[in-house]
Amino acid sequence: MHPKRLANIARFELVRLFLTKRGLLAVVAFAICWFLILRYPVGQAVSLLDSRNVADFVESIFGAAGLSQLLTWPEAELAVYWLIALYSFPCFCLFLCSDQTVGDKQRGTLRFLTLRATRAEIIFGRFLGQVLILAVLLLLTLFATLAMLSYRDPTLFASALSRISLLFAYLVVTVMPFIALMSFLNTFASSARLAIVFAILFFAGGNIILGLLSWQIPALDSLSVIFPGYQLDQMAGQNAGVLLSIGFPLVQALVLLILAERVFARSSI
Amino acid sequence: MSTVISASGLTKQYGSKVALNNVSFEIQTGAPVALVGPNGAGKTTLFSLLCGYIFPSAGQLRILDSPAGSSDLFGKLTALPQDAQLDPRFSIIHQLTFYAQLQGLTKTKAKQESERVLELVGLSDVANQRPKDLSHGMRKRVTIAQALIGEPEIVMLDEATAGLDPIHAREVRELVSSLSEQTTFILSSHDLSELERLCGQVLHLDKGILSEHNARTQVGDAKHFITLQLAQEYPSVEQYLQQLPMVQRVYMSQSKEYVIEYVKSADAFDIELLKCCHQQGWQYRQLVNGHTLENQIFHKGH
Repeated sequence: MHPKRLANIARFELVRLFLTKRGLLAVVAFAICWFLILRYPVGQAVSLLDSRNVADFVESIFGAAGLSQLLTWPEAELAVYWLIALYSFPCFCLFLCSDQTVGDKQRGTLRFLTLRATRAEIIFGRFLGQVLILAVLLLLTLFATLAMLSYRDPTLFASALSRISLLFAYLVVTVMPFIALMSFLNTFASSARLAIVFAILFFAGGNIILGLLSWQIPALDSLSVIFPGYQLDQMAGQNAGVLLSIGFPLVQALVLLILAERVFARSSI
Repeated sequence: MSTVISASGLTKQYGSKVALNNVSFEIQTGAPVALVGPNGAGKTTLFSLLCGYIFPSAGQLRILDSPAGSSDLFGKLTALPQDAQLDPRFSIIHQLTFYAQLQGLTKTKAKQESERVLELVGLSDVANQRPKDLSHGMRKRVTIAQALIGEPEIVMLDEATAGLDPIHAREVRELVSSLSEQTTFILSSHDLSELERLCGQVLHLDKGILSEHNARTQVGDAKHFITLQLAQEYPSVEQYLQQLPMVQRVYMSQSKEYVIEYVKSADAFDIELLKCCHQQGWQYRQLVNGHTLENQIFHKGH
């Protein structure tokens, strides 16, 4: 793989989001959603986390010890942000990254590209481009949260800043296998919409099938590691180690990307 | 002349359907090469194999001493694949600059190169527009421009003039002709007269089987032919032509068109033929030295 071509392809993806009408519409929709999230759950984080009803609700989902660590953060806004971002960004990126190669394949644009870049460069370049896009969006929301938090209590700024860099790293790595899954699904789906349908089937159908199988053969439960986001529940309460939070999704992303590259390299375009 | 493409025993199957059957050929640098054949004959399959879009079921394919689809060919081989479109959401200059950058040019040079190729196809004034804002013909010319980025050694144009108006089709032909000194063009088209004008070697595909023809006049062959196209139908043309000295055989290849086989002698046969037309009051439209490409391909029995 040629690093310069890889960088060019990744950079082109950024332009796709921020300089095209469709991309800008996606950014506007994203901004509105996050404005509401920041305005209400994050903005009212302190009272929200103090509320007994919410605490009971959270406990019923994550268990008694699940979020205890999170609830001790003085930066309450960041705690709420973390819970929302950890689950919403992976879902969001399934939609945002649904058209990595499939649209170009249908249009024939990929035929111009493959005369100038290898198929591996296209797959990995586009993946990196999507990671960059998600990183930019994550940074925007994180800094917005930091601004709100500092407005409430300026003394928390320094500690929040260091926590933000950690959360940013965790979140970027968390979305990687989801993006890689869409890279893989793009190699054989015939449209972006179908790629999303495949993703939903993979998560919903796959979990049901695995549930049924592991009910018969409990050892098969370990197969749930194939699903991106396997570690999210443990990460939510900050109970996952670095290996599970960072190493595991990285391995998942790498495996999915290698699969995508292998399928793409053999497919007719 | 050196070999730029060599194919041996190339076969492509889609399930039980054989799209290309044991095709072998060589293409040398120089005059453009034509790829002709009816719809479904395997032309696009051969194009796709040459570009590395699909892979052969059997056989060998080498392009500039590299396998098809190899990264060694980036910037050396480009193509206008049939029906391929640029991304409708980006400006043309933005996309062409991106392609030029992928071919290794710096951003500034890539932009200059994009402007140069757009100038070649007469579309400098639409550089900042998006493909969806252009007409079909203009979009086609933009995709031809992308194939010329970086002055590649081989350019493959699949149906390059299809959908273009006669003026722009002619401009594309002139462009191909003017660039064929430094670039080997491989052209596919249903317009045989266009290919006859531009190309030397002709690869004819039919039902996945390849045969080669020469689009140029067959000087030095044992048999000599002239193709006479008349302006209208006249009675007993074949009989009159048959009575000319040196004529061995005359047949009508299609309406108003006669192929005359003759023996070469000291007297110029074409002058005798023109005299005969004049005496009989026949208006002729065209006199072709040899067979037309169309006759070579479709009248093999003669």
